Amino acid sequence: MWRFAIQNLVSRPLRSLLALAGLSVAIAGMVGLFSVAEGIDRMVTDTFSRIPGLAMMQTGAPLPLFSRMPAGWAKEIEQLDGVRVVNPEVWSRVNVIEGKRVIAPPRFLFGTNIATRKKLETDVYRDAMVDGRFLDGTDHNQLHAVISRQIAEDNNVGVDDKLSINGDDFRIVGIYHCGQLMLDVSIIVDIDLLRRQIRFDRDSVCAYYIEPDGTVENDVLVKQIRELFKGREIQSTGNIAGAIATGHPLIDLLLAIQNWLAGGTRASTDMATDADAEPIEVRTANDWAERFDEFSTDLNLFLGVMTGIGVVIAVLSIINTMLMSVTERIIEFGILKANGWGRRDVVMLITCESAVLGVAGGVIGCLLGWIGTDIINSTWPDRLQLYASPSLLAFSLIFSTTLGIGGGLYPATWAMRLSPMEAIRRG
Amino acid sequence: MNKPTPIPAIEIEELTKEFTIGSTTVRALRGVTTTVSGGSFQFVLGPSGSGKSTLLYLLGALDRPTTGSITIDGRKINELSRDDQDRFRRHEVGFVFQSFNLLGNLTAIENVLAPFLPIGVSADLRQQADHLIEQVGLGDRRHHRPRELSGGEQQRVAIARALLKQPKLVLADEPTGELDHKTGGEVMGYLRRLREEQGATVVVVTHDESYIEPGDKILRLLDGEVVSNTQPGE
Ligand SMILES: Nc1ncnc2c1ncn2[C@@H]1O[C@H](COP(=O)(O)OP(=O)(O)OP(=O)(O)O)[C@@H](O)[C@H]1O
Ligand SMILES: [Mg+2]
Repeated sequence: MWRFAIQNLVSRPLRSLLALAGLSVAIAGMVGLFSVAEGIDRMVTDTFSRIPGLAMMQTGAPLPLFSRMPAGWAKEIEQLDGVRVVNPEVWSRVNVIEGKRVIAPPRFLFGTNIATRKKLETDVYRDAMVDGRFLDGTDHNQLHAVISRQIAEDNNVGVDDKLSINGDDFRIVGIYHCGQLMLDVSIIVDIDLLRRQIRFDRDSVCAYYIEPDGTVENDVLVKQIRELFKGREIQSTGNIAGAIATGHPLIDLLLAIQNWLAGGTRASTDMATDADAEPIEVRTANDWAERFDEFSTDLNLFLGVMTGIGVVIAVLSIINTMLMSVTERIIEFGILKANGWGRRDVVMLITCESAVLGVAGGVIGCLLGWIGTDIINSTWPDRLQLYASPSLLAFSLIFSTTLGIGGGLYPATWAMRLSPMEAIRRG
Repeated sequence: MNKPTPIPAIEIEELTKEFTIGSTTVRALRGVTTTVSGGSFQFVLGPSGSGKSTLLYLLGALDRPTTGSITIDGRKINELSRDDQDRFRRHEVGFVFQSFNLLGNLTAIENVLAPFLPIGVSADLRQQADHLIEQVGLGDRRHHRPRELSGGEQQRVAIARALLKQPKLVLADEPTGELDHKTGGEVMGYLRRLREEQGATVVVVTHDESYIEPGDKILRLLDGEVVSNTQPGE
């Protein structure tokens, strides 16, 4: 039966190939689109799994870059049960490196308090050092920086070389490599130095990174911190511009995600004087992952619609192909009927044919999609990493087969309504 | 043990068949009552449009009559369920048409085995098919496609296919219609052998009365009605 079905397809090579091509392209497109979503998902999950602590930012700030809060709060947080270390952070955008404008991918100057940072049990950057050393006491107030391998390679510099950042010559003391787009953007420097360089308010920070000591549940700790600062006012240092674009497609995407996620809480910023208003947000890796899941659902829905369009076209082309071959073969069905083939058998045959198309289209489409993501990943390694997971490929294959079978059922039942004997009689 | 089982006759009673196309009704058969005796070589003759093919398709349960009945071996085949009709055709009836007997995408041997594709082809069946295709003189053509075969060869493949079922009933609709007289005679010869060797009842629709031999039975139709059903010389 299967051989017969395949022979029927092979006997009309051009038409079968066209239907196959249509389906393959649709499936490849589906693999491609969803590998974007899976790539983002994998990257985000991986990034946050490396940052086990809590991030405290101003409410509504999409990135630490746009957040401000008093430097004095660190002391208060430290008093709370379950807090091991509070590390203040100042972030600033890098505009020029070595005289060249930095547009994409973006770079950030990340000022960190060296003394408190040393106490962190896990430090995403310190743990990822590949060359030189991490910042220590001797770097306080010095133009010393730890950069990512990506940045080092881009500018052809190594440990002890000089790198001009926003016009200042920094000495590179160490190089880290996290292998994550969202992390490898940082140039780590001393917080006080950075404040001076960018004329950042001495009594402010952008964000706090809080490492718990494990004696208190994260949720409880988060609640305590929020209670602590409820009703306090943060002096507005201008707008938290959600609309600011960094020029990096991925970071912009994340900004957009953040804005979208923050949509509901945004209003509270306007009521900063309200006693119940919360000036800060505290996020755990779990929060991020959960909120990101929500976004993923929406993204997948969107991708589903996009893929759906391609898939509908592919299915129509299968139906069309099968309809054509069915109408051409009414006489053959008459012969089969005269030889004891029932309706079910004929439907079976046609469905086998379209199922073969479906499986073949699925295999080719998956291969194309998979090779495609591989090529994209190796061509632009510091851009978004696409990821076509085995389960995505398996799903695509099953989906394609189902489409093939579904696309054959209609022509098959349609064929049964034609009267084959009439065709034979008339000749 | 050796007592030959009598070949059942086919009883046709008050058979009518109407086709309705739009508002017009064509009465292809208008009350045909006759008997095809078991194991006979039965010709069906009549002018074009007299209902010969229609009668043949009803005998093979390819279509259902408007009224009347066809009884073979105690079964009213027009009342069988669709599945049983399929089974009846697959195992008991061999069809040979004027043309369009074969599937273009299958080789000669695969065409012979076509009836059994849905239920699976056993090695034993394949061997029988091989043997039969040799019997009809196409041993060296068994892997050829129909378009590589002549009209007569194609008819012989169709006959081999009918033989494989060891049918009780063979229905042939102008099997020689597209063949020259010599080739037509050969094909008719294979049909006669079918009757003699397997004891099948063979019903042949034809326009060419020159194939008729003594002992054959002749049913004459005109405008959907029986004119006569006789043996030559009766
Ligand atoms: N499926 C059908 N739909 C409509 N009319 C039909 C159909 N089948 C047969 N007829 C009509 O029934 C009549 C008998 O047709 P049938 O094919 O049985 O004649 P025939 O004796 O086999 O003719 P021929 O010798 O030309 O093959 C004709 O008038 C034909 O037009
Ligand atoms: Mg006819």
